[in-house]
Formats: sequence, structure tokens, C-alpha cells
Amino acid sequence: MDALATPAQLLVGGLLTGLVFALVAVGLTLIYGVMDVVNFAHGEYLMLAMYATLALALLGIGPLVGLPLVAIALFLFGIVVYRVFIRRLLAGPPEATVFGTFGMLVLLQGLAQATLTSDYQSIPNPPFHGTIRVGAIAVSQATLIEGIGALVLTAALFAFVEFTETGRAMRAVAEDRIAATLMGIDVQRINGLAFGIGAACVGAAGALLMLSYPVYPTVGAAFALTAFVVVALGGFGSIQGALVGALLVGLLEVFGGFYLSPELKLVPVYLAYLIVVLLRPQGLLGRR
Amino acid sequence: MHARRLSAFLVAAFALTALGGAGTTRAADPPEIVIGSILPLTGPLAQTGAGLRAAQELARDLVNGHVSYPLPMVGRSGLPHLGHARIKLVFADSQAKPDQARAAAEQLITQDHVVALIGTYASSTTATASQVAERYGIPFLNPDSTAPGLTARGLKWFFRATPNDATFADNFYQFFAELKKTKKIDVKRVAIVGEDGLFGSGAGDAEEQIGKKLGYDIVTRVAYSATTTEVNAEVQKVKAASPDVIIIASYLPDSLLYMRGFKEQGVAPKAILAQDAGFIDPGFVRTLGADAEGVFTREVFSLSIKHRNQSVPLVDQLFRQRFGDKPLDGNTARSIMGVLILADALDRAGSTKPDAIRTALQKTNIPGKLTLMPWNRVHFDATGQNDGGAGIIEQVQDGKYETVWPSDVAVRAPIWPMPAWKR
Amino acid sequence: MRAHLIALGAIVVVVAAAVFGLRSAVALDLLFTLLLYAVLGQSWNWISGYGGNISFGHAIFFGCGAYASALCVTHGLSPWLAIPAGALVAALLAIVTGFPTLALRGHYFSIATIAVAALVDAFVRTTPWLGKATGFELPIAPGWATMQFPQKGTYVALALILFAAVQLATMALERSRMGYYLRALRANHAAAAAVGIDERRVKLVAFAWSATMAAVAGVLYAQYTLFVDPPSTIALAISIDIALIGVVGGIGTLWGPAVGALVYVVLAKAVALQLGGAGKGYDLVIYGAIICLIAALRPYGIVGTIVDALRRRRGAEAAA
Repeated sequence: MDALATPAQLLVGGLLTGLVFALVAVGLTLIYGVMDVVNFAHGEYLMLAMYATLALALLGIGPLVGLPLVAIALFLFGIVVYRVFIRRLLAGPPEATVFGTFGMLVLLQGLAQATLTSDYQSIPNPPFHGTIRVGAIAVSQATLIEGIGALVLTAALFAFVEFTETGRAMRAVAEDRIAATLMGIDVQRINGLAFGIGAACVGAAGALLMLSYPVYPTVGAAFALTAFVVVALGGFGSIQGALVGALLVGLLEVFGGFYLSPELKLVPVYLAYLIVVLLRPQGLLGRR
Repeated sequence: MHARRLSAFLVAAFALTALGGAGTTRAADPPEIVIGSILPLTGPLAQTGAGLRAAQELARDLVNGHVSYPLPMVGRSGLPHLGHARIKLVFADSQAKPDQARAAAEQLITQDHVVALIGTYASSTTATASQVAERYGIPFLNPDSTAPGLTARGLKWFFRATPNDATFADNFYQFFAELKKTKKIDVKRVAIVGEDGLFGSGAGDAEEQIGKKLGYDIVTRVAYSATTTEVNAEVQKVKAASPDVIIIASYLPDSLLYMRGFKEQGVAPKAILAQDAGFIDPGFVRTLGADAEGVFTREVFSLSIKHRNQSVPLVDQLFRQRFGDKPLDGNTARSIMGVLILADALDRAGSTKPDAIRTALQKTNIPGKLTLMPWNRVHFDATGQNDGGAGIIEQVQDGKYETVWPSDVAVRAPIWPMPAWKR
Repeated sequence: MRAHLIALGAIVVVVAAAVFGLRSAVALDLLFTLLLYAVLGQSWNWISGYGGNISFGHAIFFGCGAYASALCVTHGLSPWLAIPAGALVAALLAIVTGFPTLALRGHYFSIATIAVAALVDAFVRTTPWLGKATGFELPIAPGWATMQFPQKGTYVALALILFAAVQLATMALERSRMGYYLRALRANHAAAAAVGIDERRVKLVAFAWSATMAAVAGVLYAQYTLFVDPPSTIALAISIDIALIGVVGGIGTLWGPAVGALVYVVLAKAVALQLGGAGKGYDLVIYGAIICLIAALRPYGIVGTIVDALRRRRGAEAAA
């Protein structure tokens, strides 16, 4: 076999892994950018989205068709959560948002465990379980679709924030809340929208992840921890940064796992985070 | 000023906590024999704990009842040598945390005055709870924790009914030896994969040690975190080692990642042999469909044991009635056996004195065919380990788990090598 | 100040009386856990409450003490030695990791603590002399030299001494120049730096002391439980529990961690007693809902709210 086959396969695997991380991270970074909130319950929103996708699948609606439905459901959920809860947290000290969203994490995990049991569930006979081969390189169809989904989602979110009126308002709020208010922007509305859109992104992510991953009440933790590092590495609030950070984390994890040891594959990831934030505290592509 | 009020509140609050715990002491009812059971009733293993509790309660009712089965102490209306005393179980919650298990053991011994302890499922909680039993000199029967080190601590009051991970690892190599003898199949290169917690690393250590001792070539040992979301590097490592067989210990999400990764990367060993867990989760075959075909997994129990003991389907039926139609499985069957083994020792002891119970436990000798398990017998060696323990090996054939080893409970012949990946 | 001393004295007297008066192992166990969590919460409070750098990795310092204890015992040394040894290792770890990361602001620091804790966890899990994933089980050997006592009350008494020492140290911190610097930095680090406060030095000292307290608590925990492994000492879940205790009671206050520990322990026990055995996640539901409510309605924590209300009333009295 070609001596380069293994590194090439690792490269492709690492990039695709990175794209899956980006899928989960973009919503998180949007919420942070607009209102300075690290949503620690982000992984639990992912969990809700995965259960919603599963429910649709059991009704005969596949994950790709169900994706917009799940995204809309999560959007509405996000808006309600903002109105009822996050708004109050923002009025308190900065720690309130950290612990409030963390409380939500515990609450949602508990609710899922109480009502849906801690069993692992996955969609029966998932579509796209085949493998695509190009030369010596093989990727699974599901992962490829997830990767493409991540690129589309990131591009769409980027275009939305850069080129639409609402997106511009979001950037204005992110830049300076008080100035934005003076300019006549309804900050509460923009915050609510941003929270809803962030939740919708993770809704789309959940629908796609059901192609290759089972859902259970604590599934969020596995993805969210990486997402926090990705977002901080790329720069809190930067959508492009989340994509770059995610690809970097994916590559470090996969190459670190092979050449170092699978047990230590997160060591290069965390070291990279520490090095980047020490040299560039705002993250790779963050402002300020 | 405000600090003084605060202090009054704090003092009162501290005093209340102290009193709150003090008021709950109560004496044991004389005609009943109280056994303390420590289980993960809340926390991450709560669901497993609920099943184990239902199983132990079923076993209690079997002992106290009068319907007879070919199982020890069942259907004799309590313990005959103790004036038909009934056994009573008092449950305490470990929350799957070592410190809570320790507190639970202390509570059961000092407040509920239990004559013996049973539990606790997770190896880490069994470690601390059994230490407490040792300190108070109370017999501790463990039905289900498989970390080999538990019986290597020189404890005098600790008895473990289940075979441990070393036995299960050994079973795989016995299976290979049998294949060699009967079918001239030669297994040399073994890859060991396992999650890096207590379960996977304990199993992996045993597989590696025993494999090396028997002269197998351990071509790679992959340890990884069970919470990982991808196994690209892990699969490449296994692929690069080109093993004859892969022995793997994973939970469900990671077991699916590995199976898909092996297929995608064309890793085609002659067999994949798993340490139950994810590989016997109902989601495994349901999700993978045809890709699960041919996977071997060790098990502690199978309903096919009915060929040895006809009470298996009856107990299964009773258990389903109590526990939402969930079938009897390895964990619940072992918990039932745990209570029965303890009842057997209590009856032979004819006394509730700790020393007498301990001596009786040491003299336990229950033939394998009087258990629900594939065991040869129940007999504790000097370390407290049941030396008659054995596991079984199942294989996914036509979407079902079929027992293929050992031959006296096997219902199908093993398919070797496993079928090639579809498409 | 005097009122605080009286409060502490009263708690010491009540708990000491409980140690002598109580026969119930369960009540003593609750008291021990309560005091231990109060110490851990206060330790976290030094850097995250007074210092304002919210840490999600504090369990690694607790782990330093617990592992020091395990290593001392397995190498035939007295676990009393683990108190200075564990504290020293923890303080060094705090200085080495704090030197670069304490300059990070807000979430960047919090996530850096998660990263550091994950690295420590990976190190422990892969290092044979640290017991890898299996950890250590300490042999039973009662005696003063081995810090193992047949009476639970002795452990409670030790925890009480530690708690009192930590509270006294915190009272001293509140009145000291360093306490003043920390408060100034938390209120406005730019202004504080402008008047010549060396942020890095002040925070490093606070971080090192904070780590030291957690390590001593770790030694006590290890000797009490006689079992040390990564999930029960250094895991992220433990770090988060510690931070929650600090926040629920009220961060940056003297009695906040004690109140937080009380709420935590009472709640955990009550939920387990009421709903235990249901085999479901209702305990998490209640716990999560309470955290949400506190964060949304009482964001300054219980003690913060009481102090605030009292202050407001005094203000109203003065105005009248």
C-alpha cells in the first residue's frame, strides 16, 4: 500500500471531523457574539434536536426532510427560552448567565432522563450508511453529508450576519449595546432572534448528527465541550473563526490520536487552545 | 448587625442538619432477617439500579414464598433453619459515587443493623462499600462487579459471585484453543481495543496479560475515551496492526463508531470479539443491521441457559411481570443469584451472627445446574472469588444473539471467519 | 468582624457538641460532607469570588491532596505528610498554570481552566504510578499515624478544624491589603492597574492559597473515603459541583460557600430520600430548576441577597 495512504486518510478524516465540530459550534458562537453569553446548555439543545429528529424518523420522516422542521422547532424554543429566562440572566451579574445556562443543562438532562430514559436510541436503518471510495481514501456517506451540511450552514449564517438588515443590527448590538439602542435598534428583539437562530443552527446540527450517532440524555456533553474549545480557539463570536477553529481541532485530534496515542488525542487540542489564547487572547479570528 | 443575624441562621441550619439525620434510627423487626442492599438508585446508573432492585425483590419473594424451583432456597417459606424467618431487604442509594456507597454501607450497618450486605454493581462503589463491611466485620456479597482487583485486597468479609474480567478474557482464549482443536483454526495476532475507564482498561489489562502468557501476539493495544465522537485514528491504528482478531470493550455510541469505522476503512479481521456493554445493547443490532452480523460478544447470561435449568424461563416471566416486560438479563440474573446465595448461607449458618454467616459463605457449594447462570458451581476460594464462574460467548447470527460457546449451552455453531462487510 | 467570629465560634460549638452527642453515622457523614464542601466552596471563592476569575477546574487541586494521600499511604508514609506535600504540589500547579492563564478575562479563563483540568485528567489516566483509570484503594489501618479513625466523629472534628481555619483565613483576607486589591481588581481591573496594583502577583497569591485549601480538603477526603480515582476527585463534574456551591450561596462573601454547601447537601439528601429508587432523573430536574431560579431571581446568591436586603433596610432606617 502507498506509504502516504494513512496520512492522507487521516487528513480527510480530520477535516471531516472538524466540519462536524463546526456544525455544533456555529450556533454557540453567534449567541456569544451578539450577547456575550456562553450558553452552557448548548449541548442539551443538540440533545433535544436529536430526540426531535428521532421522533420524526419514527413517524417516517427522514433526518434530511425533518431538518427544517427541527430547526424551526429549536428556533421557537430558543426565542421562548430567551424571553422567559436568558433576558433575566442578562440583567444580573456576569456569573448569572454562566450558572443560569448551566442550571438549564442540568434541568434538560434530568427531564430527558426522567421522560425518555437513559437508553441509547438511534434511527432504525439510517440512510446513507454506505462508503465512498476515492483511491485509497474512504469516507462514509453520512459523515460527508454532515460535513457538507456544516459548510452550507456556516456560509448561510455568515451571509445572514454580513448582508441582511437584521444581521447588521446583530453586529451593531455585538459591537456596542448602548450605541445600538440609541440608534433605535430593539436590543431585546435582536438578542431574542440571535438566541433563536443559534438554537436553530444546533437544531440543524442535531438532525444531521442522527445520521451517524445515537442519542441519549447526556449526548450533548460529548459535543459541547469540544464546541466550547472550538469557539474560544476561533474567537468568541466569529463565525469564520468557529469554522477554522473546528478544522484545526479536528486535525489535531485525529493526527494526535494516531501519532501520539488515542488516549492522549485531546492533549494537542487543549495545548493548542492554551497557546493560542495566551498569544492572542481574542482567539484566532476574534475581534477586540 | 446583619452578620449576627446571618450567624444565627447558620447555627440553626447546621443544628438542623445534625438533628435531621439523628431521628431516623429504628430497630429491626425480630422475625425478619434484614439484608442491606446498596444500589445506584439515583444518578447516572439509576436505570440499571432500578432493574437490580426489582430483581433482588423478586429473589426475596422467591425465598419467602412456597413455590419451588430448581434454585437454592426457593419456595421453602423463608429460611427453615432459622424458624422460617423471612428475609427483608433494606435498600440504600450509592448514586454510583464511591463516597456515597461508603456512607450507604455505614448507614445500613449502624442504623438498620443488617446482618449482611449485597451490592453494588459498579466496581468503584463496591470497593468502598466492602471496605466498610470489612471494618465492621459484616459479610458482603457482591453479585456483579467485575474489576479483577476487588478480590485481590485480602479482605476477609468480601465474597464475589460473578466471574471477573480476567475469567472473561480467559474465556476468549479458551474459545480460540477449542477452535484450533476442533476446526484447525489458528489465531495468532490479537488487537485489544478498550475505553480508558475502569471497565475498558481492566478488561484490556486482563486480555493483554493472559494473551501474552499463552503466547499470543498482542499486535496493538488501543485505549480511548468513551466520550469521544470519532475514532479515525483508533481505526487506523488497528488497521496498521493487521490483526487476526479484535477484542474490544466499548459502550454503545463508541461501539457503533468502531463498527462503522472498521467497515469504512476495510478492516477485516477473522473475528471481532466484544466485552458485552455496547455490543449487547438492543441498539447495536437495530442500528447496524447486517453490519452487526458475525460479531462475537461475551455474556454472563443468556435465556438459552434454560437447557441446563428449566426455571430460567419461569423466573424471566416473573421478572417481566414486575419490571415493565423487560427480559431477565445478565445484571438482573446475577442480582437474583446474589440474594439466593446469601439466603443459602444464612440458612446453613442457622444464625445471624456475622462469624457464622461468613463461615457458611466459605462453605458454599452450589452446583452450576442449580443456578440461573452458565457457572460450573458457586464456591468461594480463599480470596472470596467464586472459582466456579464462567461466561458464555454469543454471536450475532441472522440479527439475533445466539449462544455459540461453551458447547453445553450453545444453540448454534460459531460462524468463523465472520462474513465480509456488505458493499 | 466580631459578629463573624461569634458566628464561627457558635458553629464550632454546635458541631463539636454534635460530634460528642451524635451516635448516628448518617448524621456525622452529612456533617463531614457539609464541612468538606464548605471548605472547597470557600477555596474556589478565593480565586473565583473575591478574585473574579471563574474556575471550572478547581477539582484538580482537590485531586492533588487526594492523590498525595494515596501515594503516601501506598509508599508506606503517613498521610499526615500528604497535607504539606499535597498543598505544595497544588500551590505549584496553581502558580504554573495561573501564571499564563490568570491574565485571561471572563470565559477565556474559564475555558482555560477546563483545558488545564482535562490535561491533568489525561496525565493521571495514563500514568501508571498514579494508578491510571483504576486509582487507589487505601488499606484499612486505624490509628492516628495512618489518619484513620474508628469513630466518624474524629473525621468531623478534623473537617471542623479545617473549616474554621479556612473561615478565619478568609476573614483575614477580607481585612487585608490583598483582599482590598482583589476587590479593586474585580470591580475595575484597568483602574486598579492604574493605581499600581500588580494584578498577576495578587491573583497568583490568591490562587496558590486557594489551591492549598482544596488540597488539604483532598487529603481529608481520601482518608475518609479510602478510595481515590479520577472520576471521584479530578473530573469536570467535581469541579462544577465546587463552583455551584460557591455561586448558590453567593460569591465573594464570607459565608456564601457554607450556605451553598448546606443547600447542596440538604438538597441532594432530600431529593435522594424523597425520590430515590424511582430510577429516574427527577433529582436532576429539581436541582437544575433550583439553579435556574436562583440564577434568574437571586443572581447574587443567598448570602448576597440577605446582605443586600439588610443593607437596604438599614439605609431605609437611616433615611427615616
